[in-house]
Amino acid sequence: MVSAIPLPLRIAAWVFVAFCALLLIGPLIVVVGVSLSESRFIAFPPDGLSLRWYAQVLSSDAYLAAGWLSLQLAVLVTVSATILGGAAAIAIHRRRLPASEAMATYFLSPLVLPTIIYALGMLMLWSAFVGPVSLLTLWIAHSVIAVPYVVRTTLAVLADSDPFLEEAAATMGAGRVQRLWLVLLPQCLPGLAAGAFFAFNLSFDEAVVSLFLRRPGLTTLPVHIYNQLEFSPDPAVAAVSTIMIGLTVFLILVIDRLVGVQKVASN
Amino acid sequence: MADLSLQDIRKSFGAVEVLRGISLEIPAGSFVSLLGASGCGKTTLLRIVAGLESVSTGKVMIGGRDVTSLPPEQRDIAMMFQSYALLPHLNVAENVRFPLRMRRIGNPSEQRERVMEALETVQLAHLADRRPRQLSGGQQQRVALARAIVSRPTALLLDEPLSNLDARLREDMQVELIEMHKRLGLTTLFVTHDQEEALSLSDQIVLLNAGTIEQQGAPADIYSAPTSAFASSFLGSSNLIPAIAADGKLQLEDGQSLPLPAGDYPSGPVTVALRQEDASLLPDGAEVPSGWVSLNGRVGTRVYLGARNRYIVHLGEERLRVLTNAGIQLEAGTSARLALDPSRLRVLPRDKS
Amino acid sequence: MTDRRENLILVAPGLLLLAVAFFWPIGQMLMLAFEGPDGPTLDHFRRFLGDEFYLTVLWRTVRLSLLITLICLLIGFPLAYIMARVGPRARLWLIIMLILPLMTSVVVRTFGWMVVLSRSGLIPSTLRDMGLVGRSYAIMHSELAIVIGMVQVLLPFMALSILGVLLRLDIRLEEAARTMGCSFLSSMRSVVLPLSAPGILAGSLLVFTLSASSFVTPNLLGGPRVQVLAASIYRQVTQTLDWNFAAAQAVILFAGVALVLIPYIMLMRRPAHG
Repeated sequence: MVSAIPLPLRIAAWVFVAFCALLLIGPLIVVVGVSLSESRFIAFPPDGLSLRWYAQVLSSDAYLAAGWLSLQLAVLVTVSATILGGAAAIAIHRRRLPASEAMATYFLSPLVLPTIIYALGMLMLWSAFVGPVSLLTLWIAHSVIAVPYVVRTTLAVLADSDPFLEEAAATMGAGRVQRLWLVLLPQCLPGLAAGAFFAFNLSFDEAVVSLFLRRPGLTTLPVHIYNQLEFSPDPAVAAVSTIMIGLTVFLILVIDRLVGVQKVASN
Repeated sequence: MADLSLQDIRKSFGAVEVLRGISLEIPAGSFVSLLGASGCGKTTLLRIVAGLESVSTGKVMIGGRDVTSLPPEQRDIAMMFQSYALLPHLNVAENVRFPLRMRRIGNPSEQRERVMEALETVQLAHLADRRPRQLSGGQQQRVALARAIVSRPTALLLDEPLSNLDARLREDMQVELIEMHKRLGLTTLFVTHDQEEALSLSDQIVLLNAGTIEQQGAPADIYSAPTSAFASSFLGSSNLIPAIAADGKLQLEDGQSLPLPAGDYPSGPVTVALRQEDASLLPDGAEVPSGWVSLNGRVGTRVYLGARNRYIVHLGEERLRVLTNAGIQLEAGTSARLALDPSRLRVLPRDKS
Repeated sequence: MTDRRENLILVAPGLLLLAVAFFWPIGQMLMLAFEGPDGPTLDHFRRFLGDEFYLTVLWRTVRLSLLITLICLLIGFPLAYIMARVGPRARLWLIIMLILPLMTSVVVRTFGWMVVLSRSGLIPSTLRDMGLVGRSYAIMHSELAIVIGMVQVLLPFMALSILGVLLRLDIRLEEAARTMGCSFLSSMRSVVLPLSAPGILAGSLLVFTLSASSFVTPNLLGGPRVQVLAASIYRQVTQTLDWNFAAAQAVILFAGVALVLIPYIMLMRRPAHG
């Protein structure tokens, strides 16, 4: 029916899409551009082209420390969120628990609450009952936010799987652990993996919770960037940001490989 | 190889009683079909034997062993599912090997041999490296079969395995099942709603109706001697005609009568069962064969079946279905004579159904 | 070991984590909002609602969120419709175009806008060159900057929400309308719009909630003089260290969000019972 849409409307449509692309991707391109700037002034288009800011970032203690913290955190969060979220998804999918629906809602509830409210609450609780925040605090908080993503992607993959596989495996002599390990786990692997990559991306890029749960010495990379932006932005910030954009692009490609971006978008 | 024994199996799902006391003794090596309409409990019964459902009361014995409280993996069974349930992340050979691994049968090289043997039995050895999604429905089904027999279980359980196949494939698979059974002699429990399938494959048919056994026996016995209207209409297609048995005759509702066959029948209302193929329509002027009787009726619709015709014949208020050869052409609305051999009549108690 | 026990073991750790590290903190926060030196009190709320500054902040938050939601809708609906009607390859690229900003860190995205909207940034200087604005015009540190930045962040949520519904919409319904004499635009109005209402509603609620509770982007793009509620909470926590007050504000924010979400959730449940 494409020909039934009048031509001027179609042209307008493509112009519109171009505008949207500019709106959505423009700022990212600006960041990349600024990172290549010769001078220490932030300008787009950049004056001069140079990679000096990348060199500076990669040799800066502050940035490296922040980056290292974010990396450690992201890895820890990926492991914990994937294990906890994956196990929960399997249990929910099997529907042998009372109130599976309620259970699913329970695990997806962090998605509904604005992150700032949660960050505040976590800070208050931790300070009242444990003391100063630490890597552990961040690990727990990021895990809480990441688990729903893992549960969601894993449930989505399991929903499409053959419901009789576990029974068939039982009739073939497979015990509980074997059914879990040899049948269920391979089934939800794409969903688990996608969830893991989501968790990693979420934790690495996360700014809101990390801004509340911070302390001198406990500064993640996004928090460090935020500090720079508030007080003294320079192209070095752009360089770090570009590296982070690159990481995100890579993760998107991996997730598309595993589960397909279409499926993720429809959730 | 030993028996499969079910003792007074009852199963309720909540308030609904699905199985109302099923007792069955299945001799070693026999092929038994659980036949019935949907909802009669046949699949539930099979799943109880497999251990996938628990019993409300009753006992399940496999190979002389009481397995009632044991989970499926501890019973010496193999099951073939209607949807095949092949493990998608393993190839064909690994799928077939799975039960051998789980039940720890043989060392790896022995297992490989048995897998190949099973695959050759279903003529799929050349597809051993494929994944299930690369196979057609019929091929997947044969892999599921190979997987079910590879461990030589004491009880082989088949849950309507042929119902997803088209007619030609189904016929081929039925032949394969018969040959497989002859060769391996595994005790087999086969669930189906298709009476022709049950008739062609089984040593014994167990006809289930609403959670109880309606009739049980060899295919020929059930077919020719159904003991109820339900059994009669489920196997083969019978006409069921209400009549009154009195004074050595069967009085039909339109006034005509048939001789009462030899036997012990109570007088009063009965149901007369007559198979479609046991009656003929006589063309004008043709003689009634000796020993046969004829009834007068009116010709109704004709259904063309290729090699034969099916005529609806009106006998008073009753509509009877009669199979004739293609040669017999009768006009609708004309009167017709229905000839039948009285010894082929079955007189059954009048059902409440 | 039964099925039930096995599944309980699987779900327990996650259950525990969320109970202790999600629901409990929220409870703690609620408690702090009502906590006073002599017992439960509404003082913090009174303080908020009695101070003109904070009421301005609240009003600004609501106002901007509504504006952002509206703009996202005006841009998001046509975008989603186009995405629903193009071929699968083009759609995939458009989805990536939406997901990419979504998955980058909020600080990175906001930085890009800071560059473009500052006094020497691309947009103001272009406008200046065109003689449309004065010499020291900057979009930064204004409500406009916040709106622009937030629209970029939240547009994908709106577009994807509507896209989901549109993809399930049978194109033959539109075709039928066209054969009955509707022009393209009027078939849009009478067929597409009503049937995509659930997606529009869901997207709008999502965008409203997210924009009302955002603080990084508004903080950076709006500056200290143009605060939104979430930014105010952040400042209370990090600068004045008045946690009770911050908690009260968070509760107000929470209440506002719940007020908007609950009728939606109830609306969504109805078809299941009806």
